[in-house]
Amino acid sequence: MSPVVSPDRHATRSLPSVSVGEELPPLEIPLSRTLIISTAIASRDYQDVHHDPDLAKMRGSPDIFMNILSTNGFVGRYVTDWAGPEAILRKVEIRLGAPNYPGDTMTLEGCVTARDDEARTIEVSVRGRNGLGDHVVGRVVLALPEA
Amino acid sequence: MELLESRVGRPEGGTRSCPYPVNEAMIHHWCDAIGDRCASYLEPDFADASVHGGIVAPPTMLQAWTMPGLRPEEPSTGSAGTDPDEDTRSVMQILDDAGFTSVVATNCEQEYFRYLRPGDRITHTVEIESVSGEKKTALGTGHFVTQLYNYRDGNGELVAQMRFRLLKFRPPAADAPPPDGMDRGGTEQERDRA
Repeated sequence: MSPVVSPDRHATRSLPSVSVGEELPPLEIPLSRTLIISTAIASRDYQDVHHDPDLAKMRGSPDIFMNILSTNGFVGRYVTDWAGPEAILRKVEIRLGAPNYPGDTMTLEGCVTARDDEARTIEVSVRGRNGLGDHVVGRVVLALPEA
Repeated sequence: MELLESRVGRPEGGTRSCPYPVNEAMIHHWCDAIGDRCASYLEPDFADASVHGGIVAPPTMLQAWTMPGLRPEEPSTGSAGTDPDEDTRSVMQILDDAGFTSVVATNCEQEYFRYLRPGDRITHTVEIESVSGEKKTALGTGHFVTQLYNYRDGNGELVAQMRFRLLKFRPPAADAPPPDGMDRGGTEQERDRA
């Protein structure tokens, strides 16, 4: 997992430095079994389909798959890795698609789609693709400092 | 459908409290698993001097704080319905009983009004914002349900809101046991082709 952190990971992008149309560097998340289980447990989600392959199959899924809370977490991380630690997330809105199964890779891509200078916020559209198609499509609204 | 419509705008299941207050150990577990090294969540010296004025929790951890985890569900407080003859089943139970036993989450929208800090004790309530009529989808026939979660801190201040949309559907081959407990974060078992 190669972080997309800016050279100084304590630095935060300023609102004027960001333009609509700017693309975020892609982030590849290798979906190991450990990652899918550890993120489910870290979010306190003990549903068996997120850690027990036999029960997941019994319920009609080919394998365990990532839970929604973790998808949210990766989308949030992707945007703050790029924006910096003093960016303030206001909204994370996601639509779910193809499940994240172990052994696959999810690649996150993002693009700045709006900038509101009065509200001091930007909107980043995010898409996370895996081998099956779009796992997640969404948008994140975040506040950035003036300078 | 009338019964379902009667549930729109009504709370379901009372108030859910958090098993543990917001705390740094759970924040670190989450950040380790997600691979998030954001200094505002992890580095006290940086966070103290930052716009946050101290360590904050990743806002996307919101749902984790009120998940029951492995603890038995505590009876929630303030359930609707005092009339013993009233049908007090939740929308999920009504749909289960009608054969729409499978569930797939399709959308999750979170809005954060302030970041949570260690020590915060969060509660949430859920109300049904909308229930669609019966729809035919690629997964099977079902109803789309939108739940509105309101998250409050110990002072009753609204700290976040979440809209959670899911499809409760009748599985085409109804031989698989249904996933349990949608209210614990939801599943995305199948591709959303609805």
